[in-house]
Amino acid sequence: MTNTTPARKKHRFWTMERKQSAAGWAFLAPASILIFIFSFWPMFQALLISFKTGKPTALKYAEPLWRNYQYMLKDKVFQQSIGNTFTYLIIQVPIMLVLAIIFASLLNNRDLKFRGLFRTCIFLPCATGLVAYSMIFRTMFELDGMINGILLNLNLINERINWLNNPNTAKAVIILGLIWRWTGYNMVFFLSGMQGIEYSIYEAARIDGANQFQQLIKITIPLLKPIILVTGIMSTNGTLQLFDESMNLTKGGPANTTITMSHYIYNKMFVGAPNFGYAAAMSFVILIMVAILSAIETKVGDKR
Amino acid sequence: MKKLVSLLLALCLLLTVAGAMAAEDGKITIWTWDPNFNIKSMQIAKELYAKINPDVEIVIEEVLSEDIETRVTTAATSNTIDTLPDIMLCQDNSFQKMVMFYPEVYANLTGKYDYEGFPAGKLAYSTVDGQNHGIPFDAGTVVATYRTDILEQAGYTIADLTDIDWDRFIEIGKDVKAKTGLPMLTGQAGSIDMVLIMMQSCGASMFNEDGSVNFVNNEACKMVLEYYKTMCELGVFAEVNSWDAYCGTLANGSCVGTINGCWILGTVMAVPEYAGKWALTNMPKLPGVEGATHYSNNGGSSWALVNGTDIDLALDFMKMYRNVEFYNEILPTTSAIGTWAGAKEAPNYAADNEYYGAPIFATIVEYTAHVPANQTGAYYYDARGALGTAVTNYMLGGDLMSELQAAEDETNFNMGF
Repeated sequence: MTNTTPARKKHRFWTMERKQSAAGWAFLAPASILIFIFSFWPMFQALLISFKTGKPTALKYAEPLWRNYQYMLKDKVFQQSIGNTFTYLIIQVPIMLVLAIIFASLLNNRDLKFRGLFRTCIFLPCATGLVAYSMIFRTMFELDGMINGILLNLNLINERINWLNNPNTAKAVIILGLIWRWTGYNMVFFLSGMQGIEYSIYEAARIDGANQFQQLIKITIPLLKPIILVTGIMSTNGTLQLFDESMNLTKGGPANTTITMSHYIYNKMFVGAPNFGYAAAMSFVILIMVAILSAIETKVGDKR
Repeated sequence: MKKLVSLLLALCLLLTVAGAMAAEDGKITIWTWDPNFNIKSMQIAKELYAKINPDVEIVIEEVLSEDIETRVTTAATSNTIDTLPDIMLCQDNSFQKMVMFYPEVYANLTGKYDYEGFPAGKLAYSTVDGQNHGIPFDAGTVVATYRTDILEQAGYTIADLTDIDWDRFIEIGKDVKAKTGLPMLTGQAGSIDMVLIMMQSCGASMFNEDGSVNFVNNEACKMVLEYYKTMCELGVFAEVNSWDAYCGTLANGSCVGTINGCWILGTVMAVPEYAGKWALTNMPKLPGVEGATHYSNNGGSSWALVNGTDIDLALDFMKMYRNVEFYNEILPTTSAIGTWAGAKEAPNYAADNEYYGAPIFATIVEYTAHVPANQTGAYYYDARGALGTAVTNYMLGGDLMSELQAAEDETNFNMGF
């Protein structure tokens, strides 16, 4: 813009625009520099490490450079972990978001009593630590745990089910845990979005004869689209980086059928022989996956 | 006011940095993990050492073994070895991996420490390229221990379970299960402690002597897996999902007994109401396998000294691990069985254990002498993870040979980097 504006006083360096833009830069600089040093520079370093191999204290560039990435194509456990993670993503995220919208629209009803109490109850799981709730879920689903006890007493099952020792039920327990932990979190976003929707729209719809379900489908969801998009991206991102549940609830077992990508990366770094280069390479593959999925979601969801 | 606050904050920061430095300061810092076991042992060592050298300050910090490994990794890769303590405990199974990948952290103690009297099999865990990097702490000698009151209900005594093979064990186990409804043994699913114990009892391990992985052509391994599956299917061995649940089965009497490293006795003896109801014997052996014994090893740990810190002082302190009085003191409170031959002279080793009402420690020391050696190497946990997957898949109905082949391929893949 500077070159198009007529230079009124050529000898003065600090024009109005320059002053303003300098102030802008000065305000931006501290945060930008910190983000650069603590976030972007390490990411760049990690990219370099992902091309290296050898002992952690004496990393050398691999031959060929993409060797670590090549190995991933042969790594059956990593491929299995990708499969597991996407299973969680495809099943858990839609169920969770639908539940969150339903809860939010129920709580958005002005005639509901004890709204604050219900809201707190549904949000409360988000205040628990990831490790803590994973351990509690594991204890609950033990062979002699609470869930088996209740089901036996209600005569719903004849003998104890070993939930965490069967690939399908173990995955189901993790998905159940994720839904319990994160539904309230997403609900809060929807709730605040709904409070921004003009109440008179609903009144008008009711006069036109729309029932509760029609109001949800025709008014609430279309108007909440940007928020659904944001929660969708955040949930996708979070699920692809899932670690605590796999690590603490099932330890990746039985036989790696519940292991997530991040958990496998951790194993490669700290459990077996340390392999920094390979772990960094796998992290970058996750980054690319998150970027692609978020791009698709933005494209699909944002039709303005 | 604001200036004062920021000044104080800066001071705090400085002090933390200064506090974290474990440089040559005449102070010994120790990282170890179990308050009833190895921390307690170090506290006793500290008290005894105070009589010899009262000027030395010794600080014992509780850090879990996985956390110690993670911290070593971060310290070594970021060139901040001075943030590590002077002495830290290391699992025997990880020791070679840690020394091979972070040689600059672990002090070479060959020629600096007197290893006379420590068994070669134990020292091998912390030896890399003929150079010793560890000071042995406890033995992981396997014991079989059963509840005699439950055995009695089914009409058996501890003598019926002594010096037997696994065929006979399964026979008894089926009978006991039919009469009492309880499994003989329990274990953590997927952790394959039992499988490795059985393999080592006949001198087999996951690796060949040249360090290459050995699953597919490992006859002992195949036989062990078949026995393990049979026991699980018959309900003689019950798998639980976590370590806590396993300890729970010992504490609440939902199994007859257990076969594990002798450090498990601490858990067994933590339940006062079963005192006098447990008996200890050797484990069953694999029938028809050459070199099969009734003895094995599981777990155990050794102390590592960190390079560049107060190493001479630390070495002087570690002379405690060649001290009869020390071993005599730690035994009754921690049940930690030392591997140093001189420990046998300690009067407490020969004495009756109150809980068992028998001289169990003398028995365990006797077993230790017969344990076949084991190969670990840098890829122990990679191989163990792969074998664990194979065992679980085999239990869920997979074909034994193809699962073992998959485990061997996976381990070779990890070793191929």
